[in-house]
Order: sequence, then C-alpha cells, then structure tokens
Amino acid sequence: MAYTEDHIALAAEYALGTLDADERAQVETMMAVDPAFADIVQAWAYRLGVLNQMVGTIEPRPVVWENIRAELARTAFAQEPPAQAEAAVPPPPPVPEAFAFDTAPTETSSAATPPTEPPPVESQPGEPPPSEAQPPETARPDDALPDIAPVFMPQVHAPDPDVVHAPPAPVVDNTNVIRLEGRVRRWRTVASAVGALAAALLVTLSLQIFRPDALPGALRPAPRIQTVEVKTPGTPLAASAQYVALLQGQGGGPAFILTIDGATRNFTVRKVGATPEPGKSFELWLISDKLPRPRSLGVIGAGEFTARPLLAGYDADLVSGATYAVTIEQAGGSPNGQPTSAPVFSGKLIETVPPAQPQAPAKK
Amino acid sequence: MLTPAELVGLIEAVAKGDQAAFERLYVATRAKLYGVVLRILRRQDLAEEVIQEAYVKIWNSAGQFNPALSSPITWMASIARNRAIDIVRKKSEVSIEEEPQAMEVAADSPDPLARREMTEELKRLLECIGRLEPDRQRLVLLAYYNGWSREQLAEKFSAPVNTVKTWLRRSMLDIRECLGL
Repeated sequence: MAYTEDHIALAAEYALGTLDADERAQVETMMAVDPAFADIVQAWAYRLGVLNQMVGTIEPRPVVWENIRAELARTAFAQEPPAQAEAAVPPPPPVPEAFAFDTAPTETSSAATPPTEPPPVESQPGEPPPSEAQPPETARPDDALPDIAPVFMPQVHAPDPDVVHAPPAPVVDNTNVIRLEGRVRRWRTVASAVGALAAALLVTLSLQIFRPDALPGALRPAPRIQTVEVKTPGTPLAASAQYVALLQGQGGGPAFILTIDGATRNFTVRKVGATPEPGKSFELWLISDKLPRPRSLGVIGAGEFTARPLLAGYDADLVSGATYAVTIEQAGGSPNGQPTSAPVFSGKLIETVPPAQPQAPAKK
Repeated sequence: MLTPAELVGLIEAVAKGDQAAFERLYVATRAKLYGVVLRILRRQDLAEEVIQEAYVKIWNSAGQFNPALSSPITWMASIARNRAIDIVRKKSEVSIEEEPQAMEVAADSPDPLARREMTEELKRLLECIGRLEPDRQRLVLLAYYNGWSREQLAEKFSAPVNTVKTWLRRSMLDIRECLGL
C-alpha cells in the first residue's frame, strides 16, 4: 500500500471523529481527488462503526419522518435511481404523487408506536413536481420550501453554511416581498458564513490540479506545494499565483473546484462530484459585499472542465474576496440574471503557490 | 428488528426507487441512528436535523451501498454519525454543553451488550481496543461514542491537547496493527 502511516492515522482519526473542522475538510478533499484514499477512510468508518451496536435506541419524533418525506418530495428525483440513470434517454419527469408517502410510517417493528402525529403537511398536492420544467420566476421550488416543511425549523446558533438551506420562517402569506426577503437572507448567510468553511485547502488538491498525474498513490506527508490561505478579503490577486476555491455542498466534500489564474484571470471550473438533474443547469455566481447582488459567471458546462475569461472585468480585490456559489437553474441558466434558488455549493478562494516556486517543505 | 439480510434487501429496493421499502427501512433503523447522533449532538433539534439529512442521503446513495464492505446498519449509522461530527466540529466556538437545551448523557460509554449479541467484527475490535492502556481505551470510546474533540478529551484527561493528539494517533495505529491490517 502506497500510503504512509500518517495517511492511515489521518483516515482513522477522521472516522473516529477527532479531527477538527479544517482537518476534516482536508480529508474530504483528499477523498474527493483520490478514490483509493476514500476507500481507506470508508473502511475505517465501517471498522469502527460496529461500535454503534452498543448504542441504545431512541425513537425520534414523528415529525422527523414528515420532514424526510417533504424533503424527498421536493428533491427525490434530483438523482435518478441507478437503473434509470443509465438509460440513454432521460426518463419522463415523474409525477409528484409518485413520492406521496402517507403521514408517518406504519410500525412494522416491535418499537413502540410514536405518540401523536403532527397534522400531515398540507401543501403536498400543491407543491411543484420535482422534475417538472422550471416554471417562471415566481414559483420556484425553492420559494415553495416554507410551504413544504413548515414544521421543521432547525435552530441555527452559529452561522453554518451547512444549514443555509434551512427554510426561512414559515410563511403563511406568500407574498413576493417575504419570499425575496427569505432569499436575500439566505444569500447573505452564505456570503458571510462560507468563509469559515472554505478554510482548508489541501496540498493534495493543488497537487491534483497542477500535477494530476502525480495522484493517486503519491500522497506525501510533506506538502509539495505550499498553500496559503487568503485571510483578508480584498488582498489583490497576485499575478504569479493560482487561486483555488472548493465549492462545497451540505453533504460535505467538494462538488466543484474553481481555479483562477492570477495573471490572466481566466477561471476554470472542474466538476468533481455533482451532476445536474435532467433539464437543469448549474450556474456559477460571484457574491461580494461590493456588489449589490450576485453576478452570474455563467452556466457550468456539461463536461468535466468549464473554462472562461469572464473575471477579467472585475477588479482584483473583488475577485479574491468574493464568495463563489453554484445554484441549480433551469436549463441554460437563470432567465433574469439573478439566482432563482439558494446556492447548493459555495466556497472562497485560497491562494496556492505553484510548485515552480522555491519553498521549504513544511515539516510538522 | 429486521435481520441484516432483510435490511440489505430493503436498501437494494430503495436503490431502485422503492418508497415503501424506504419507509420500512426508516422504521427499522431510525431509533438506532437517532440514538447514535443524539449521543453526539445532545440536542434534539440538531439530532433531528442530522437524521433528516442522513435519510435523504441514504435514499440518494442507496445504490452505492456495498454489503461486502459493511452491514446495512453500519453503513447507515456511519452516514448519520459523520454528519453529526461535522456539525459538532463546525460549532466548536459554541460549546454544545453550554446550550440550554443540551441533554445529559450519563455514561461515558453505552451499555455493554451481552456477548452473544455482538457481531464477530465488534468482538474483534473490542478485543483490540481492550489491549490499549485503560486510559487510551476510554479515550477512544469517548471520542467515538460522544464525538468529543481533542480539546474536550484533553480536559477530561487533564492532558495537553498535543498529548491527546499523539495518544489518539498511536491508539488508532495500535488498533490497526492488532486487527492485522
């Protein structure tokens, strides 16, 4: 096995859970670029997972099932079951009723029947079919969120990009004003909170980007490329440097890797872990407190790489300090130049110095 | 309680989009998964949120489940627990213990099972953990069951964080060696 003890220990500690947030992000990045390493981490997770046999069972409230059901009704067909996904032609859009679970699950085990049922989610019939072509601006599935899951209000105590998808306060009077407010709030949360997550960029990632042939199996404990976090938003882009942003979703792990060339300000988006559902496109946005609203950087192409020169029009401070986010839009992109849903992936730029630069290997 | 083989069948059905199977899978496994994450998060709101996300992920990735690599419940619990750990690590500035809603979890580690209820894999792992020094055993189990960070462990064991870091690393490598990996 080509992995050092450091890598094994890192994988094991990830599974154990004792790594800090930055280190976890680091491992997730390594997993994303190196499937063999991902297998090692996974094996540890399963190896330790048997410990859960000793954990006592506790019944969750019935509302949890309601929320799962509502969430799946909204997104169930974002990912087709494998059998269908392999079909050459995308299957016809499933009707929403296909995911019509009834209230709480019936008890088939010996577990005690949960006490009172909350009223069934009333908006079920009215919600937009998950895979239907996007209706115009005013009726996005995202906007319908408060209707679908009004009972579930996660309490967010600290800005956490992982929960920005949480629905805003239940909206009874669904006026445009309120909906827009919710959307703005979500975007603001993303812009301010994403920095914390964006944190750890990995040596491995840079390696993957600059020397893809060096992976896998060539992971080294000593970094070959120094990575420097851009701590202060507004640090102008250095012409000699490369910048990288991992655009991560709530599930953890990067879905897109955005690289920007400091000299040309050309950017490239590499798709690593996401596929849009049929009839939808991923659209990239630049969010900055220097701009009144998110600016579209265009639709991300179907291929693995999408390269564009668009950033040349923006000033360097803005580019380096901005948050980059991806939303799901109708095929071809948002019709009005504004994001029509909350971002599903986002991240900030981190400067990476290419290996050509002389450097002392970082030792721990 | 369904047998592992029955659960495998359900996950295979879920991978094909069988919603009834998904519901049965949920009913059969929710209390275990909730027990695992509530122990770590100690807050009902967060634990419920994690369970919701975990089952959505289970629905979406059922096709990736490989019964040769893990039991169904281990696979599912690992998805939920991983998410719970993500959340406690990202909330490090806000101590979960200080939250008014924080729940008490009395014991350091869960109740022991009768030996006959344990799978072979668990017996083997416990044997290897049992070969660690007593303090290290508790360290590993507290980390796993309670999702404690190095800082929390350092406080518990009155040791510097860096020492805990070394202990954890050494313990994991010792376990690996003991398991013959």
